[in-house]
Amino acid sequence: MILVVGEARGGNLNRSSWEAVAAAQQLAGGEPVAVAVLGANVAAAAAELAHAQVAEVIAVENPALDPYTPDGYVVALQQTVEPLDPSIVLLAHTYQTRDYAPTIAARMARALVTDVIRFRVVGEERRFARPMFQGKLTADVVPLGPRPHFVTLQVGAFRADQAARAAQPAPIRSLSVQLEPGAIRQQPEAPFQEARQAVDLSQASRIVSVGRGIKEAANIGLVQRLADALGAELAASRPICDAGWLPMERQVGSSGQTVAPKLYLAVGISGAIQHLVGMKGASTIVAINKDPDAPIFEVADYGVVGDLFEVVPALTAALKE
Amino acid sequence: METLVLWLLVLAFAGWFARQVASRLRLIAAAPDTLSFDHAGVRIRRFLVDVIGQRTTITGRPLAGLAHAFVFWGFVVFSGYTVAEFLYGLGLVDVVHRTWFVGYRAVLTPFAVAVLGGIVYLLLRRAIARPIGLGDTLSLESVLIALFIASLMVTFLLTWWLDEASAAGRVNWWAHSLVILTFLAVIPSSKHFHLVLSPFTVMLKSLELGTVPNLDFEKEEVGLETVKDLGRKIVLDALTCVECGRCQVNCPAWGAGKALNPKAVVLQTQEALLAGQKDRKLAEIYSEEVLWQCTTCGACEQQCPVGIEHLPLIIGSRRGLVSNGEAPGYLAATYNNLERRANIWGLPSDQRQKFITSAGLETFDPQKHDVLVWLGCAGGYEADFQRSLRSLFDVLRLKQVRFGVLAKERCTGDPAKRTGNEYLYQELATANVEQLKAVAPRTILTSCPHCLKTLGSDYRLVGYQTEVVHSSVFVEKLTRDTVARERPGETVTYHDPCYLGRYAGRVDEPRALLERLGATVREPARTRDNPYCCGAGGGLFFADKEEEHGARISDIRLKQLRETGSGTIVTACPFCSIMLKGAQASALAGSESAGAGDVQIVDLMTFVGGRLAKT
Repeated sequence: MILVVGEARGGNLNRSSWEAVAAAQQLAGGEPVAVAVLGANVAAAAAELAHAQVAEVIAVENPALDPYTPDGYVVALQQTVEPLDPSIVLLAHTYQTRDYAPTIAARMARALVTDVIRFRVVGEERRFARPMFQGKLTADVVPLGPRPHFVTLQVGAFRADQAARAAQPAPIRSLSVQLEPGAIRQQPEAPFQEARQAVDLSQASRIVSVGRGIKEAANIGLVQRLADALGAELAASRPICDAGWLPMERQVGSSGQTVAPKLYLAVGISGAIQHLVGMKGASTIVAINKDPDAPIFEVADYGVVGDLFEVVPALTAALKE
Repeated sequence: METLVLWLLVLAFAGWFARQVASRLRLIAAAPDTLSFDHAGVRIRRFLVDVIGQRTTITGRPLAGLAHAFVFWGFVVFSGYTVAEFLYGLGLVDVVHRTWFVGYRAVLTPFAVAVLGGIVYLLLRRAIARPIGLGDTLSLESVLIALFIASLMVTFLLTWWLDEASAAGRVNWWAHSLVILTFLAVIPSSKHFHLVLSPFTVMLKSLELGTVPNLDFEKEEVGLETVKDLGRKIVLDALTCVECGRCQVNCPAWGAGKALNPKAVVLQTQEALLAGQKDRKLAEIYSEEVLWQCTTCGACEQQCPVGIEHLPLIIGSRRGLVSNGEAPGYLAATYNNLERRANIWGLPSDQRQKFITSAGLETFDPQKHDVLVWLGCAGGYEADFQRSLRSLFDVLRLKQVRFGVLAKERCTGDPAKRTGNEYLYQELATANVEQLKAVAPRTILTSCPHCLKTLGSDYRLVGYQTEVVHSSVFVEKLTRDTVARERPGETVTYHDPCYLGRYAGRVDEPRALLERLGATVREPARTRDNPYCCGAGGGLFFADKEEEHGARISDIRLKQLRETGSGTIVTACPFCSIMLKGAQASALAGSESAGAGDVQIVDLMTFVGGRLAKT
């Protein structure tokens, strides 16, 4: 059996739970798949998971499981896992999982493979691939030792919409777990919510960024149109935001936001190092600048040496076609 | 009868004095011992020059300083007179009626006039001119003390005219004595306690500016968290502060309208100590915001006439915060970069390698090379500074200096050290030292003043010592045979980096180089060994816009530099360059005038390289 541990917070199921279900179904190869979900009141989450094509859904409930504590989850999950004796316990690699998965693996003295992005089944062996050295290498890991093996899946690595659904909901079994008073040593405080920027450039997949080459505020529209054509967010270097031509929250660089889009198009940005360190994580960097010696070309994958007032409208027109 | 009354008064006032002093001495004794008496010769010389000679007091503010010096010197020469008069009044010893005493009084007379002139000047300055550093409200206590001092001098001078035995003479004598006794009682609880403590604080001050001793992790030291963690020198400093406000008016953060005021930090420490708040958190006393606004430029410490060291207090408190994971968010990213990539940018080291290859640099080999050039984080990765380093390499090659670089270099740890991440600093420092010891260069040459400070001074505390020279000093020496060329019309303004001008005291070499190459050097406001910071130091280079309050320090400095009217601003620190260029770019984007771009900001080595090639 493969046991998937779903994650519900305040009764709401985390989407990555469905990714874990999908992965479990692909990995099972004939083995049954069961899903457990832990909390104080998980009826709704369990009912949602019951739509998946799985053998059963186990609602592991105890009032002490809300709010989340690592101690509570470790104890509850151990009591869930041990009688089932699954071959693998699959979890989404969420912050919560990162917090308690190592503890339960250590407590049960079982192998743990974290942040898995894909797997291969070779004969009897299940090989899990996980990134190393900030994604520069990928290692194939085969967990050894007695079952179950704990495996956590990188969020987004598996597709939730590929989870097979059943015509009839799976049976839901309620399991009450014993939590001794004093078993939970942590006293959680209210969850910390980072102040949200009005514009969260860090999540943007495409960014068009404008620098001092734009000369005056009135010309920003030119770059805005390019961003629109690309479906990209508009960003800027420090001088543009300092001058008030664009709001501060659109500033990229060491004194602004750090971004890592798939495409970063730098328009009229010379590439001072404070700016470069804010966008060095971009997958593809395209630079438009009239100065061929501008440092931006040192980091650009594609460079256009030319007048942005010619290049940008031409590019926008080409994209619209 | 008079004798008996005086006895009672002396005992009462001296007792009150002793009681107050004792309570303060107990605070000092209770603090962890951090005092250092090494290099006694230097410390004694400092006593002679700075205490007796009043050098710091006078150089910072010549007029007020000289007025103070008159009062101080008067105080010193009058001490014999005061003791003699009291011994006589108490009926113990009578020297005042010896014939030579008239001579002593004659000697004292010009001093009395000088003290009177000095104190009246200081009183008018405080009460009427009201310099901002002395605080928003007029200190009545200070006015009272000034009046005391003035009355002491007046009553002394009157002795030349009044018969000692006459009623007027007796009143005059008693007035003089009562003022002295009251003065005695007021001293310990006022800023005039500096009379007692400042000779010690001046002598006990670290030998080098900005010395912040390493934490000993074996002893589980984590930095300063609460009042009881404050070391003995810090406690002594807090009780000595004379509230002159020189630290305040010289502080770039305060000047830019930020919350930090170094004088307030010292006085808040004093207040907490005297209130016995041993367990109060320092971050609460000063506020975290204040602690993270310091650029560690060192102006406060250097300008303080009574030897107060602000940096160990501020950096120590930062350490306390960092140890508890309470560093500002932007530093978390910097620390991450330093931990993972060992450079402040978080850039992969192959970029540094690319520069080494393209600049044709050799890996340092002690058999082949005389000088190890330390590139630093800027040299390894920042395009403008790399241009400047190429100029330096050209000069070195031209003068046949055999030099190499380390194949792998870590950040010296300057940002970690100044922001209080001592663990990270020591990790970086230890790793670098191990590598440096392996190749044992006799001379390390760097163009970054921050690397200069860490490699040259801070690394001594981790057991590494060699000659570390800044490029301005090295190249100045190297090019002395260059004939100066007239280049009329070229005026440049030189911006002293804090870590070169103030910390290392290297103010002449960069100017000599500029002049040798035909430039006329203009001096901005705040120059030489008391420059106004560019705003980059102390980890503030990494600060987000959101963390900034008031104006930007770099904007203010650029304005000061531009006001000299030169077409070129030269500096000798990659971070000053970046900050000033950033300020310039913002000013240009914000201004409509096309002419705003005419000022060129260049690193000293870029300037030298370009012009040396032409000579």
